Amino acid sequence: MKIWVVRILSIIGTLVAVFGFEFFMRGLVAQDQSLDYIYRLAVLAGLFVTLAVSLNLINGITGQFSIGHASFYMVGAYAGATLTNSLYKIQPLGPETWLFVVALGGAVAAGIAGLIVGLHSLRLKGDYLAIVTLGFGEIIRIIVFNQPFLGGSFGLNIADKNDKSLWAVLLLAILCIAVCRNLCQTPHGLAFLAVREDEVASSAMGVNVTRVKVTAFIVGSAFAGAAGALLGVYDGLITPDTFRMDVSFLILTMVVLGGTGSITGSVIAALLLFSIPEWPRFMVEGGKPWQVTGATLLAGAICLIVSVYLVKRTIDEYHGPQRTKTLRIVGIVGGGIIGTVLLGTVFGLIPVLANRTWDVGALRMVFLAVTLIVLMLIRPQGIFGHEEFGWQKAMKALRFGKPGANPT
Amino acid sequence: MTTPLLSLDEATIKFGGLTAVNKVSFDIERGDLFGLIGPNGAGKTTCFNLITGVYKPTSGKILFKGSEIGGTPPNRIAEKGICRTFQNIRLFPSLSVVENVMVGAFLRHKTNIFSAFLYLPGAIRETEQFRAQAMALLEVVDLADVALARAADLPYGKQRRLEIARAMATQPDLLLLDEPAAGMNPQEKEELHLVVRRIRDEFQKTVLLIEHDMRFVMGLCEKIVVLDHGEEIAAGPPEAIRNDPKVIEAYLGEAV
Repeated sequence: MKIWVVRILSIIGTLVAVFGFEFFMRGLVAQDQSLDYIYRLAVLAGLFVTLAVSLNLINGITGQFSIGHASFYMVGAYAGATLTNSLYKIQPLGPETWLFVVALGGAVAAGIAGLIVGLHSLRLKGDYLAIVTLGFGEIIRIIVFNQPFLGGSFGLNIADKNDKSLWAVLLLAILCIAVCRNLCQTPHGLAFLAVREDEVASSAMGVNVTRVKVTAFIVGSAFAGAAGALLGVYDGLITPDTFRMDVSFLILTMVVLGGTGSITGSVIAALLLFSIPEWPRFMVEGGKPWQVTGATLLAGAICLIVSVYLVKRTIDEYHGPQRTKTLRIVGIVGGGIIGTVLLGTVFGLIPVLANRTWDVGALRMVFLAVTLIVLMLIRPQGIFGHEEFGWQKAMKALRFGKPGANPT
Repeated sequence: MTTPLLSLDEATIKFGGLTAVNKVSFDIERGDLFGLIGPNGAGKTTCFNLITGVYKPTSGKILFKGSEIGGTPPNRIAEKGICRTFQNIRLFPSLSVVENVMVGAFLRHKTNIFSAFLYLPGAIRETEQFRAQAMALLEVVDLADVALARAADLPYGKQRRLEIARAMATQPDLLLLDEPAAGMNPQEKEELHLVVRRIRDEFQKTVLLIEHDMRFVMGLCEKIVVLDHGEEIAAGPPEAIRNDPKVIEAYLGEAV
């Protein structure tokens, strides 16, 4: 009884939050049309969270090394687009309800693709499976590229697009997170984890390894497909180029960076990796983007290398109390920032370094790459490792909750 | 006469030209504490792999409760009621101790995966039920105090006992232990001895175990089969095995 009350309240809370955010964003766009790209960023962020969490189900939780996630995204997008173009005009549903139909259509199509790839995972492991998934992704993309009825390289237009679909994207992301998290809390999820840990032992314990792997592929790719379908309907145009191999790698990087197997890690890493290249867009003053001089960049690079080295050494070799350790790391980071400013001033005296300037925006991909390298050096197991971060831990960290208290 | 719980009838497996297990036959009755011994490379673990479906016998029959199980996939065999431990420990290293045991209980799940996706009350109840069962089993093997530790962090002897608890969680009729005492010190062996006896007497399981340590097997098992080079060279109670010239020859080399 109590479970249902909590469940219904949390669903209502989620809906209120999602639609509240939707109306807030619409209000923002209505005030200033140029803020439309923020709405778009929110949509893409939601889609990438879905993609990262769904790949995490395959890659992190079930341990099947799949690097062709963009292909499922693509299958979903084209399925959704074809569905909309052929049926939207002759069906009675409104544009909002139609989003559910499209997402479901994309999910089913991508789920079937996931089944096909998943069957290969029965015979292949690790690197070999990775090659198959990669190959599958490229095959799908090239097939679409050469099909005139799918628009070929020009892509496919969706006449009835719905560019107010942020709420649907957010609901999909939340559903994906909820499903993965729920799964992990039941013995079914333990069976998935057991397959990741040791296939021979889990089958000896009666786990049907075949079924677990195929289920993981189907569910993971179905979520990616639903995300793709929503992307198509939101943008109104999809091209094969949107789903290139580097999208697969970006999603994979999100999973690894967040910590394989950690759902919260995937979410945080997806938001982080997606947003880092966007931050410089906001670093604008009076219509002119921020400039950095060669002196600042050089100083920053030097201080970064030194601080990363020191932080890494503190983490690995300092065995004192946690408090002192944290303080030391904070000190190193602070020292790095101060060092950058000081060293930057000194380098500023050298004319060659002081006179060469760049737009911050032009360096955004460099920032992304540097962030990745630094994070992987400092925390190779990913931001969260195998851990989850939920209300319980948040409460514990804030010292509010009773130890062992369960919010659900 | 009642049908034996497990019966091997001239079970044979060949890998290319090598006959790893050659026409081995023995019957295990319900409630037996059965030992399978032999020098290195005698085919003991291969025998286990035949029984648990890892390999399919080239010829011969393996009957469990009177029905043929040779070549059935391992997970189906676990469902039928045979569960094993491994010679080189195969736990789920990054899962916690209690989660390891819960995986063993998984094959008795009643809820389907959709109720797990939606975390319906049925799935929650089942999770709690499995957790309670797992904790009870951890009591038996004396690991309840480390239930939340990562399995990989346990010392060797405890990992061995955890494997037994995990196999017990499938509620098997026949428990196969592959060198459970390997690498244990005398005190740990003594504890293991008690655990295995308790599994048989209290939980009424039938146990088939492979072991190198003669004293351990002789003190524990009531019936023993000796393999050498894939062939069965002796069978019978411990006293008979101890004095069997063929066994002595296999273990100590030819008599001068």
